[in-house]
Parts: sequence; C-alpha cells; structure tokens
Amino acid sequence: MSAMKIQRKALVTLKEGAYKWLFATLAFASLVFLVGIVFTLLTESLPVFSKIRPTSFLFGPFWYPTADPPEMGIWPLITASFAVTAGAMVVCVPIGVGTALFIHELAGRRQRAFLKPVIEILAGIPSIVYGFFGMVVVAPILQDLLGIPTGLCAFTASLVLGIMATPTVASLAEDALSFVPRSFREASLALGANRWQTLTRVVMPAAGSGISTAVILGMGRAVGETMTVLMVAGGAAMVPKSLFDPVRPMTSTIAAEMGEAVMGSLHYNALFAIGLMLFLITLGVNIIAEIISRRFRLKLGLGR
Amino acid sequence: MAPETKICAQHIDFFYGRTRALKDISLDIYANRVTALIGPSGCGKSTFIRLINRMNDLIPGTRVEGKIIMDGLDINHPRTDVVDLRRRVGMVFQKPNPFPKSIYENMSYGLRINGMKDRNFIEQRVVSALKKAALYDDVKDRLHESALMLSGGQQQRLCIARCLVVEPEVILFDEPCASLDPISTRKIEELILELKKDYTIVIVTHNMQQAARVSDYTAFMYMGELVEYDLTEKIFTVPKERMTEEYLSGKFG
Amino acid sequence: MGKRSFTTMTMFILLAVMTLTAHAVSAVAADRAIIVKGSTTVLPVIQVAAEIFMDKNPEANISVQGGGSGVGIASLLDKTTDIATSSRKIKPEEIEKAKASGINVNEIPIAIDGIAVIVHPVNTVKAMTRTQIREIYTGKITDWSQLGGRKGKIVVVTRDTSSGTFEAFEALALNKEKVRPDALSSASNQAVAQTVAQTPGAVGYVGHGYLTPRVKAVAVDGVQCTKQAIQSEKYPLSRYLYVYTNGRPSGDVQRFINFILSKEGQRLVEEEGFVDILK
Ligand SMILES: Nc1ncnc2c1ncn2[C@@H]1O[C@H](COP(=O)(O)OP(=O)(O)OP(=O)(O)O)[C@@H](O)[C@H]1O
Ligand SMILES: [Mg+2]
Repeated sequence: MSAMKIQRKALVTLKEGAYKWLFATLAFASLVFLVGIVFTLLTESLPVFSKIRPTSFLFGPFWYPTADPPEMGIWPLITASFAVTAGAMVVCVPIGVGTALFIHELAGRRQRAFLKPVIEILAGIPSIVYGFFGMVVVAPILQDLLGIPTGLCAFTASLVLGIMATPTVASLAEDALSFVPRSFREASLALGANRWQTLTRVVMPAAGSGISTAVILGMGRAVGETMTVLMVAGGAAMVPKSLFDPVRPMTSTIAAEMGEAVMGSLHYNALFAIGLMLFLITLGVNIIAEIISRRFRLKLGLGR
Repeated sequence: MAPETKICAQHIDFFYGRTRALKDISLDIYANRVTALIGPSGCGKSTFIRLINRMNDLIPGTRVEGKIIMDGLDINHPRTDVVDLRRRVGMVFQKPNPFPKSIYENMSYGLRINGMKDRNFIEQRVVSALKKAALYDDVKDRLHESALMLSGGQQQRLCIARCLVVEPEVILFDEPCASLDPISTRKIEELILELKKDYTIVIVTHNMQQAARVSDYTAFMYMGELVEYDLTEKIFTVPKERMTEEYLSGKFG
Repeated sequence: MGKRSFTTMTMFILLAVMTLTAHAVSAVAADRAIIVKGSTTVLPVIQVAAEIFMDKNPEANISVQGGGSGVGIASLLDKTTDIATSSRKIKPEEIEKAKASGINVNEIPIAIDGIAVIVHPVNTVKAMTRTQIREIYTGKITDWSQLGGRKGKIVVVTRDTSSGTFEAFEALALNKEKVRPDALSSASNQAVAQTVAQTPGAVGYVGHGYLTPRVKAVAVDGVQCTKQAIQSEKYPLSRYLYVYTNGRPSGDVQRFINFILSKEGQRLVEEEGFVDILK
C-alpha cells in the first residue's frame, strides 16, 4: 500500500522533472542558436585578421576581394549600409508614425477598416518584389525625374527600403498608441486640452517607448534587408559622396558573393567578417533600444 | 436661505445610438453644495455627469436632447466653447489617472495648454492647488518625480489638485473612491467637504454611507430616470418613493 | 542551476555548434560520387546538367563544386576530383606537373563563352575597341563623347567580382586592371541587361545568350557579337570552356560528359547563356 504511494509520488516527481526539462530545453533553444551563430561567425571570420589588419579591414577604402592581391576594405560597405539605413529612416519614420497617428486618432471607422489591411498587405509583400518594383519602376522614374545618370543609387534604395519598413513602424507604433490608456486622454481632454494638445503632450509621450521601439525595429529591418538593396542600390563598392551615388551595403555584398566565394578562402572568411560586423551593429541597435525603453519605463515609474 | 442654482438640467434625454440612456431628467444643482448621484449600475449616472462637461462628445453616435444651463450658459449649444467649459467644469475619474509625467508637470498641464508661460505664476498656482488638495506636504520634496510613484490615494488627490489648478467652478467626481482603501477614501471625503466652500460639487457614488457623509443633496436614478431628488437627510430618512427606500435598504441594486 | 544540469546544457550547446559548423567543415563525402570541380563560369551549366543527368540515371551521384579554374585543375592533379572544369586552356606548367604525378590530361571543350558588350538602344556608339572597353571600365574614359557618341556620363555596369561572367570579362577585356570602384554591380546577367535597358548612358556586358532586343551589342574590334563570330573565334571577347579528366573517361564520368556534349546538353549550354560548340 504505502510502497505504491511512494511509487506514485516518484512518478509524479519524475513527470514534473520531465516537464521542467522539456520547457527549459525549449527556452534555451534560442540561446543555443545564438551561441552557435556567434561561434560560427567568429571561427569563420577570424582567419581574415591574420592576413589583414582589423583597422585596414574596417577602414580600407577599396573592396576588390577577388583581385590579385585582394583588397579587402569594408569601409565603403559600412558607409553604404549606414547611408541607406539613415535614408530609409527618413522615409519610414514620418510615414509610419504619421500613419499610426492617423489611424489611431483621426481616422473614422471606415478609413481604419481600409487602411489597416493595406498596411498588413504591404508588410506581407516579399522583399524581392519590392526590389523588383524598385529596380524596374522606381529607379527609371527617379532617373528621369532627377536627371541622374542612374536610378540605382542610395536614394532609391532608401526610398524603397523606407516604404518596406513603413508597415513595421506603422503597426508597432499603432500598437504602442493603443496601449496608452484611455484615461490619459480623458484626463487631458477634461482639463480643456484639445485633440492636438492631447496627442502631442500626453498620448505620444506615453507611447514614446513603444514608438521608439517601433522605429528601432524598423531600422533593424532596413539594416538587415538584403534582396531589395541588392537589386536597387547599384552595388558600387565606393564610399558614397552623394545620395545619388550607387552603393553596396554589407548585406547585399554577402548575398552577392557568398555563393561564389571558395569555401575557406580569404574572401569567404571576409564575408563572414562582414556578417560579424552586421551582427555587432544589430546587437548595438538592440542594446540602444533596450536602454531607451528602460529609460522611458523609469520615467513612467513602471518599475525598472 | 435657499441655495443658488448653479446648473439647471431641463428634460434631458440622451441616446447612445438607439439606446436611450437618460429619460427626461430635470434637476437643479446648487452652488457650493455637494450633490450625490446614486443608483444601480448602468442607470446613467456617469452618462449624466459627463454631459455637464460634454465628455460624451467624444463618443461617436451619441445624441442629447433637452437643455443644461450653467450660469446662463447653454452647455449643449453648438457654439459653446468646450475648452472653456471644461476648464470651468473639472472632472475626477473613477480610477486615478495622473499622466506618466512628473507631479509638477501633471499639475501645470492645465495651465500650459491654456497658453500660460509665466513660471512664477504657474508655480504659485501649483503650490496653492496642492495645498488645497491636502497633498502639498506629501509631495513638496519630490515634485519632479513621476506621479506614478505615488500611492493610489495620493494619485487621486493629485488628480483633484490637477483640476483645481485651472480654478474651475464645478468639480465632477465619478466614483472617486472606487479604487481606494478606507483611509484614502476618508481623506478624499474630508477634502470634498473642504472644497465645497469654494466649488460646486457633483459626485457619483455606490457607497451609501459616503453619499450620506459628504452630500447635501442626493439624486436617486433608476434605469435612466430620476426617481427622487432631495436633501440628503430627507432621502436617507424619509424617502418619498418606495423604490428609493428599497434601494437604500439594499433590497435591490 | 545545478552542476549536472549545467553540464547537460553545455553538451546541448556543443551539439548545436557542431551541427551548425558541420556543413562548413565536411566536404560532401557521399560514396562513389563523381566530383566535378573548378570554374565558376562553367559551374551553372554543370549544375543543371548534373541534375538532369541524375534524374535520368538515379544510380549516378555527381557532386559539383566551384573554386575557380585553377583550383579545379589543381584538384585534378592531386586526384581529388574526377572532372576539372576550366574557363581557360590548361597551362604548360600544369601539364608538366601532371606528367610528374602520372596524370594524363585529357581536354574536352564543352561550350564557348562569348561576352557581349551592351549599351542602350538609343546610344549612337556602335563599336568599340578592346582598349576602349578597358579604359571605360577602369575609369579613363568617362564620357560618351570620348567615343564619338553624344555627350553624357558613362554609367558603367559590371558583375559581382566573384561571378564567372566577370571572370571571363576580366580575362578577355581588362588585362588584369581593376574596375572603377563606382561601377554599378549587378548580381546576374539579367540584372545587367535590365539596368542597361533602362539607363540611356549605361554600358554593360552579358553572356551572348542573355542578349535581348532591349539592349544593343556593340561590335568589338570591328566584329559583331554573333553566334557564328563566337564559334569561329573571330569575336575577341570569347573563349572555350573545357572539362579535363585524367585519361580517357569511362563509366559514369564518360556518360556524363557525353550527355553534356549531346544535343540536349548543348541546349542547356545555350540556356545558360553560352554558345554551343560546333561539331
Ligand atoms: N459608450 C457607450 N455606448 C453605448 N452604451 C453605453 C455607453 N456607455 C454607457 N452605455 C450605456 O448607458 C447606460 C448608462 O451607463 P452609465 O455608464 O451612465 O451608467 P452608470 O450609472 O454610470 O453605471 P455604473 O454605476 O456601473 O458606473 C448603460 O445601460 C450603459 O450600458
Ligand atoms: Mg459610471
């Protein structure tokens, strides 16, 4: 009798233990992947630095990876990524946040019912379609309109990327706005504030951390986007002097060259090193995002 | 020595779309008195007081009939300046709703949105409102900390102080103590009794003792209708309507 | 977390890392696979050919790898590949080495690579010399007026430096000089054609098979880029593509090469933008 009880108890303990393990494993799976990715990036990219000094890799002005001898400076690629991302932010932040504000504050029920799905569809379009659209439609139009030698340039890439990142920003910012309790709005209006004052002085600051997260995730989308920039940025590995120069961001460099680089060659390792740079940049962006939202939370007094 | 009428509601009907939430309500609210609105949930108390500062305007598809006059001002008239009206009629909500800003910013908000820039003036007003709301001593050393760090009771007093800053004439309280503990509730009640010297007060409450303690007049509403309206003493001791009596004795509700 | 669970976790992580790196470390090591290694230019043709060949002969197993012509030939010499692909003729010193290690180099041309230099159809420039092409791509010539065309900036379009077409163009037209860094760079032949087609000031190059009516091929050193001119080796920007084996091939290797040389195989060659060899 009591032996059976003990047995049953042991079984329960075992079961609980098993569940605990199962979920712990699942929870740690992403960590495992992260570690694996970092490990791979490091082991595959470090050999580059035995041949090329890190400073000349980072700040070298020329990228001729297959020339003899190869020149592997990724400064043009880094500046290209920054230029294109910054440009994309100039496009997607106002449009995205503006859209969110419009949907949330001004749009009637019908406009909202129309706009929200439009944004979701925009978000669901594969990036290669944006790339194709950018290359075949936007680039020639800008080329004629602005009288530039080629439409495949940082400007076009920024524009297309910006439009691509807009839904991310818009829908996340809209979420952030809808998390602002109605009571804040009511309090403000009851004090005699008009809609605009309520929006700019109460709602937006309260949604601030959410909106900045939206912006940063939009930025993440822009930095990491590959296919589109590969098709519309022009691909010239040169530090851009103007917005209308063709550029070659880091992602498209990896995408264009990885397939052809000889496994284990210096070029192959260099591409991994670019990947490592991208990883570090996104890591930095995420840390900044975290700091910002933590500050906001502190300011809001919502624990730390 | 009959009290002076501050607000006079005449035959108010109110509709949320097709639902008629208020039915032919007429009542006078007296200056420098506390008027309590009681009645079972959903009877239209909030709907009614939100008409006084036109907060119902924000809800699409609503419609009001009848007149509400405050000191000769036809509140529902389309040309009435809503911003000015809301400055004159402050409102305190069921749940404390300070802005996620510092205490000081919460306090100065009402002045700033009205274009007030003079720092000294703002500070003077803020301090005096905090004192009136019996909050000054609690917060004087941390005016620039987030208002959300305050306790629930302090937050609610801050909300009261926040509407005092713009010097309203009427303050509407919609169940101000619903989310507070007895001690904080007691403080708010004392505050209301204090405030009635300078302001006209309308309070919605589900707490009969509270209505008895703080109010001079009590209106009992049921299903969108005003059942009985009289001096609080009378309502609580010799109600005219059987329904009022039953409600007060807890027979339904 | 207890000590034991920590150890387990570490093992998990190691396992994952091993799985992730495994593909990078292991050379495909299927049993008795035919290994084809070498030129990135030839790679796409061999890849489709191998797929179709394996569909038809399920028992055959072909592993196709890039690496470049030099790597392919070197692998043939150290016997780590069955077939070396190359976009250039084997060098005399490589033949020497082969002899030294007892390898009998057998050369089989499988296709011709002809690179067309293309401009926008409205461009009035109809011909260029190889020197001019080099000077355009290295940045010495920057305006169409320098070539007798209408004044306007030349927009140089090139391929990614790791592509086979770039390799061919570099070998045939650039004389080892570097392409100007601000040249537009496209990821495929089609993308080059598309870019040139929509950019009036552009010049680009594509494999002969990617010529479309939306772009105009210029004559190089006076020779039009036609199939005949390429097959007869009159067109300067053309070259044979080869496979090399150790001695006369036999078995599946032989059957695979025969397949490439067959009518069907040569059609694949054309589909990949090359010119079929005359037989
Ligand atoms: N926004 C709205 N849309 C439609 N109907 C509403 C809306 N707000 C309230 N009502 C309805 O109007 C009636 C009166 O509601 P009201 O909020 O004024 O009641 P109340 O007396 O304040 O109740 P409680 O004591 O629960 O706060 C209820 O039947 C309610 O369902
Ligand atoms: Mg209510």
